[in-house]
Amino acid sequence: MGLTGLLLVGFLIEHLLGNFKLLEDSTGEAFNEYVLWLKSFGPLLQLAELGLAALFLCHIALALRLTLENLAARKQKYVVRGTHGEKTPGSVTMFITGALITGYLVKHLLDFRFDERYFEDPAAFVKLTLSQPQHGLAYLMAAFVVGLHLSHGFRSAFQSLGLSHPALNAYLQKLGIAIAVLFATGFAVFPLYFLFAWNGPAR
Amino acid sequence: MVEASKRLSSKAPRGPIAERWDKHRFNMKLVNPSNKRRFHVLVVGSGLAGASAAASLAELGYKITCFCIQDSPRRAHSIAAQGGINAAKNYPNDGDSVYRLFYDTVKGGDFRARESNVYRLAQISNSIIDQCAAQGVPFAREYGGALSNRSFGGAQVSRTFYARGQTGQQLLLGAYSSLMRQVGLGKVSMFPRREMLDVVVVDGVARGIVCRNLTTGAYERYAGDAVLLCTGGYGNVFYLSTNAKACNVTASWRAHKRGAFFANPCFTQIHPTCIPVSGSHQSKLTLMSESLRNDGRVWVPKRAEDGRAARDIPEEERDYYLERRYPSFGNLVPRDVASRAAKERCDAGYGVGSTGLAVYLDFRDAIRRDGQDLIRQKYGNLFQMYEKITAEDPYSAPMRIFPAVHYTMGGLWVDYNLESTLPGLFVLGEANFSDHGANRLGASALMQGLADGYFVAPYTIAGHFTGRPLPAVSADAAEFLASESEVRGRTEKILGVGGRRTVDSFHRELGGIMWHLCGMARSADGLNRAREQVQTLRAEFWENVTISGSGASLNQDLEHAGRVADFLEFAELMIDDAAHRCESCGGHFREEHQTEDGEARRNDDKFSYAAAWEYRGVGSAAKLHKEALEFEYVKPSQRSYK
Amino acid sequence: MSGDPTSSMGFTLKIWRQSAPDAKGTMETYHVADVSPDMSFLEMLDVLNESLIGEGREPVAFDHDCREGICGACSLVIDGQAHGPETETTVCQLHMRHYSDGATIHIEPFRANAFPVLKDLVIDRSAFDRIIAEGGFISTHTGSAPDANAITVAKDLAERAMDAAACIGCGACVAACPNSAAMLFVGAKVSHLALLPQGQAERNRRGLAMVARMDQEGFGNCTNHFECMAACPKGISVENIARLNRELLRGALAPRRV
Repeated sequence: MGLTGLLLVGFLIEHLLGNFKLLEDSTGEAFNEYVLWLKSFGPLLQLAELGLAALFLCHIALALRLTLENLAARKQKYVVRGTHGEKTPGSVTMFITGALITGYLVKHLLDFRFDERYFEDPAAFVKLTLSQPQHGLAYLMAAFVVGLHLSHGFRSAFQSLGLSHPALNAYLQKLGIAIAVLFATGFAVFPLYFLFAWNGPAR
Repeated sequence: MVEASKRLSSKAPRGPIAERWDKHRFNMKLVNPSNKRRFHVLVVGSGLAGASAAASLAELGYKITCFCIQDSPRRAHSIAAQGGINAAKNYPNDGDSVYRLFYDTVKGGDFRARESNVYRLAQISNSIIDQCAAQGVPFAREYGGALSNRSFGGAQVSRTFYARGQTGQQLLLGAYSSLMRQVGLGKVSMFPRREMLDVVVVDGVARGIVCRNLTTGAYERYAGDAVLLCTGGYGNVFYLSTNAKACNVTASWRAHKRGAFFANPCFTQIHPTCIPVSGSHQSKLTLMSESLRNDGRVWVPKRAEDGRAARDIPEEERDYYLERRYPSFGNLVPRDVASRAAKERCDAGYGVGSTGLAVYLDFRDAIRRDGQDLIRQKYGNLFQMYEKITAEDPYSAPMRIFPAVHYTMGGLWVDYNLESTLPGLFVLGEANFSDHGANRLGASALMQGLADGYFVAPYTIAGHFTGRPLPAVSADAAEFLASESEVRGRTEKILGVGGRRTVDSFHRELGGIMWHLCGMARSADGLNRAREQVQTLRAEFWENVTISGSGASLNQDLEHAGRVADFLEFAELMIDDAAHRCESCGGHFREEHQTEDGEARRNDDKFSYAAAWEYRGVGSAAKLHKEALEFEYVKPSQRSYK
Repeated sequence: MSGDPTSSMGFTLKIWRQSAPDAKGTMETYHVADVSPDMSFLEMLDVLNESLIGEGREPVAFDHDCREGICGACSLVIDGQAHGPETETTVCQLHMRHYSDGATIHIEPFRANAFPVLKDLVIDRSAFDRIIAEGGFISTHTGSAPDANAITVAKDLAERAMDAAACIGCGACVAACPNSAAMLFVGAKVSHLALLPQGQAERNRRGLAMVARMDQEGFGNCTNHFECMAACPKGISVENIARLNRELLRGALAPRRV
């Protein structure tokens, strides 16, 4: 779980950096070049995509098993639920945020990866999509959900992998929150920008 | 001279004391390794003695079945011992030796213990530390990695090994881990939540037990070739004690009724550093390690019924009575001396706190000398515990302490092999009477429990297997069925009383009688009154006790009732023993027998013996048998801590 | 003193009552009066039980023994918190002075499939014993030990081992865990033994064996909520879970004879 999670964080970093190409220029050339560059890898790219898909599936399958087992481990629930103060909004919503991200992932793939129009002018198509409220707001929410997921996931992955040291744990905890905020803001920038600050497609 | 009873043969070997245990082991027949699995040992109790014995016997190849009253063997009350465990390792190079530990223990026990046993205990002490360290018990260490020692309970040498304030817990978890390893290997069958209610005797030999399954209420019969009782002490006869709630005398008492003599029941230890009673609701007392006396100073105001807060009492108006009375040992006098001195001050009206039943234990000077940090390091967990219970901060105001019942030196009489007068019934740990005499030294209980379990019983039990014919018996034999119907009848009788008074109220009243009349100080007159009161209370119990629920399921009220019923019988024996021993020794203080300074006065001519009592029916006086105690090495002297 | 010991408090208690392992349980309401602030939580339950017995009703069954916070027998969840609201405190060391007069208090047993209820608040924690039996020990035959000082242990290691060994096996970690995981319990024991030189010989198999048993017993999986650590009456750190995870990896990757 932790390992696949951390690898996916790696992918997210790459994805976010790529996204910023959108803001490099107003014509979208930078982003389109980036997409072309990716496509130039040909079969290698397809292999990477397959790997990525496998990673996602692995992460999802493990999460499903974990959650089902954990739900089953306490058939008689507490009448009064309390906390000792260590649970976080992120930690208790991992499955929900995970499920939402999965849903969003499907939408994301359908919106772009499997839409023929995307590859005609990727940058323009992304901008257009995100500027539409029904899409833009969805992606905005997705950015928040990814952040929430990471706010627990990042630190948790290190713990599960046994990568822990009393001197580092406090920093790791903070780093996890920082990464969550960074990704949430990073991904939120795009829908926000194209919803509210963008002047529409160049005519 | 004491006339020794012919019924009691200590089987202690003669000859030079240092060679006795070796010689004894050599003379004992061995059980052929391939035969060991044919012998089935029932171990009752899983504390230090029980768990260590069950594990060690299983390692040897015997077939073991072990029972405990708690939900897990890891919870036996040994777990609550805080201070440490003694051994004669002499690691600090301060002059300790096996002989010195032996000497201190005999003297500390006020010359009422068997020399041969005590010497063996001191010899074995070193192997116990080795064994526990190998098991991974996280003993305190020096920076160089060697084991750390401290002086404890007034010992002049540092021979106490410890694991923070949780030594008992860590030693028990060590023994428990060895036990569970054998359970995992299939060599031990473990039965938790079982209460032993009878020993079954077949042809004069203990061959099994009857228990009640505390979860289902079912009676269960188990047959074997030997029974080991490792069921702890009877301090809860006082209701309030530092013992856990489940501690009881039932197993020992039922064995006593089947022929095991009960020795020195009046020898009980009152521990000086406990948190005082705060109200009538109190269900138990909490001990704080006596290591506190290493740095804390005990005092009361010089003025009787001084109502001022401790910090408002100036130095010259404080009476550091232990330092005053015992200038050379000061605050580190043995437990019995410190306890009685506290009682004496409180009785005279100098006690502090809302009840007047407490004295101060003050760290002010130690904090000034060493700084709060060092004191926190040494005693932090104890201070925290005190604050949790009393909501007072011991760093800024002195703690209030008062003596409480802590340990019982008396127990079933055993010979050098730890076998009782009922053949085949071995008694280990606090449940037996063997090694502490009339008073136990600090950090010696853990040592004795583990010595019995790891290193004595595993050898001496062989003598029983090789020395007696042990024809196969079945748990369905007539003796077992008779025993089961007897204990079932007793439970039904209790359930059938249908009175109006709760079990707990009987227990509290019994405790009050014992504490006031058979506690820290006893007198002939008081003991006579105590006997009458106990008899009356017992009669009332069987007419007026009320139990809710049935015997066919988990019923804690019923469990408690059975134990209180046994305490009500046992208490009378304890009173008789205290009344017959017309001397003061160790924890047994008879007001008629004291020096002008109020110290205990022994009478070695008449009472240099272990009193072993033979059961002769409820309400009939038990028969006294004397095991004469000979002191060849440590010549009896009046203890002096001045 | 935070409260006048003679003052008396009263509470409304909502307690889980269940007559047998397979019976259906419910929360029932009781009123208890004459409670002193200096009483422990269990002594407050004693008062309730005395009055129930007086009325001819069945007292509430609950496990307890040492009443000084070390045996690990008590197993109550109070208002949704294992061992109640105080940190590093077992129920027997929780005093009523921490509650305000007239409060309503919910009391439930530790809940997990691996800890079935036997009656009322009494649960069966033998799963913990079975986990220990799989590897929570150092195999040493009585009598075979070398001199204790032949094995030196750095003070710091000994202290850390002791930190882990302080576990009282109460199961509050499981009760507090949203997933009913027992990783803190197992982690504490594995850490205690892995840190010490004496524990090295069996190190590679210990964690794997204990965790396999843990899974078999029906405990959940750790997802790092860290509620266990906060509920633990002995303050055992989740650092021990991280170490357990390392030990599992180490064990899994260890070369073995085939």
